[in-house]
Amino acid sequence: MSRPSFDHATEAFDFIGKLENLPSSQEIMEESAKSFALFGFENFIITGLPNPKERFEQVVLLKKWPMGWFEIYSKEDYVRVDPVIRLCRNTVQPFEWSEAPFDRDREPRAAEVMDRATDFRMKDGFCLPIHGISGYEACFSMSGVNLDLSSRTKPALHLMAMYAFERTRQLLNPLPCRGADLLTPREREALMWAAAGKSAADTGDILGITERTVTAHIASACQKLDATNKTQAVARAMQYRLIQI
Amino acid sequence: MTCVHVITHDNRALYEEAIQQFYRLRHQIFVEERGWGGLRRPDGLDVDDYDNEHAIYLLAIDADRVVGGQRLYPTLLPHMISEVFPHLVQSGIPQAADIFEWTRYFVVKERRTGRTDCRLLAAMQEFCLEKGLSEVTAVVEMWWLPRWQQTGFKVRPLGLPQIIEGQPCIAAAIEISAVSLEHVRKLAGLRGASLVRQVTPSPSVQRVPHAAA
Repeated sequence: MSRPSFDHATEAFDFIGKLENLPSSQEIMEESAKSFALFGFENFIITGLPNPKERFEQVVLLKKWPMGWFEIYSKEDYVRVDPVIRLCRNTVQPFEWSEAPFDRDREPRAAEVMDRATDFRMKDGFCLPIHGISGYEACFSMSGVNLDLSSRTKPALHLMAMYAFERTRQLLNPLPCRGADLLTPREREALMWAAAGKSAADTGDILGITERTVTAHIASACQKLDATNKTQAVARAMQYRLIQI
Repeated sequence: MTCVHVITHDNRALYEEAIQQFYRLRHQIFVEERGWGGLRRPDGLDVDDYDNEHAIYLLAIDADRVVGGQRLYPTLLPHMISEVFPHLVQSGIPQAADIFEWTRYFVVKERRTGRTDCRLLAAMQEFCLEKGLSEVTAVVEMWWLPRWQQTGFKVRPLGLPQIIEGQPCIAAAIEISAVSLEHVRKLAGLRGASLVRQVTPSPSVQRVPHAAA
């Protein structure tokens, strides 16, 4: 199959220029679909990588996926076994799906997700990992059957994907930590008393636990919220509406 | 407490020790960690043609220890993009009195999970704003791009990415703006100005009598 020839660099810069003025994720989806189709891509997804407590559906930002595949992928929780997702967490470099290793005999579920994807014309793909600040991990993954994927086109695709991701992120503003169940009840309590100006010793007296335990709850909350200290943890917990005062 | 110090030709004498640390760290990070073999030197110091009297360094220093750094250089002079990486730029290298090149940015390994990164980025914006600059240009590995964008930097690509030392890299121009500075400060919980400027006492000032007869 031959495509009308086009200048991939010009296409990339035009696409990036247009993104800035797109007011909604729906329009980013449509514009991306049009531009990536020029390279043979039929499907793509822009998604955060879920932590163990998050479900895949919660972290997806934007997708043009075949009808049915998203339901199967979510229902089967394939995100936990998908070799593309696994490699994505461990590299900052773009890679083709075929470069994501798995052991067909010892990892039958990994083989299953790759095999079933081909039923939906997701035969080959290109994945751009994103390792942002505050530990935010995401990717732009695109696929199709007849791809124009070479050392000539990859740089254009890479750049386009990074800007499409950024524009989507700006519009949807995903938080590095999501979900009300991120903190335990004790961690929330400890932060609420800190927000009310109580020291760890005071909080220990109030809750009937030791100061050391209070400090441990706060430290754990800091880690989950990626906060440098108690003050930042309180600020983040309020920002994410995990605590109220 | 970590502060970002502004070091220019004028006050460099006060910072000889810090500059030596900076050169050594650059070699450790860019040559030994990142594998830019072309920069390797037997003395373990990364010093290049642009470490001259025109260079401005913004170094993050905590108790006499350099924990991160960056260099700014005028684009009206021959600079890295014009001399080493012109092929990364598709149409016209930005060169103007209010555009500087931003190079040798790093944070030491043990500080990479903290706020030092944002502190240095904020310092760059703050310094450039005060100096009246409109943009800085830089060559950077692609994986930095979303990080910059997430800190609120507006990044304009100057060409498509190309592979340098095995990594896709891009030349880009970053807008200097109060909005970007505010965004990165807020993100890291930094309040207000953070730059330290030490002035070398000039001999003429010392000669001025402190009391009039």
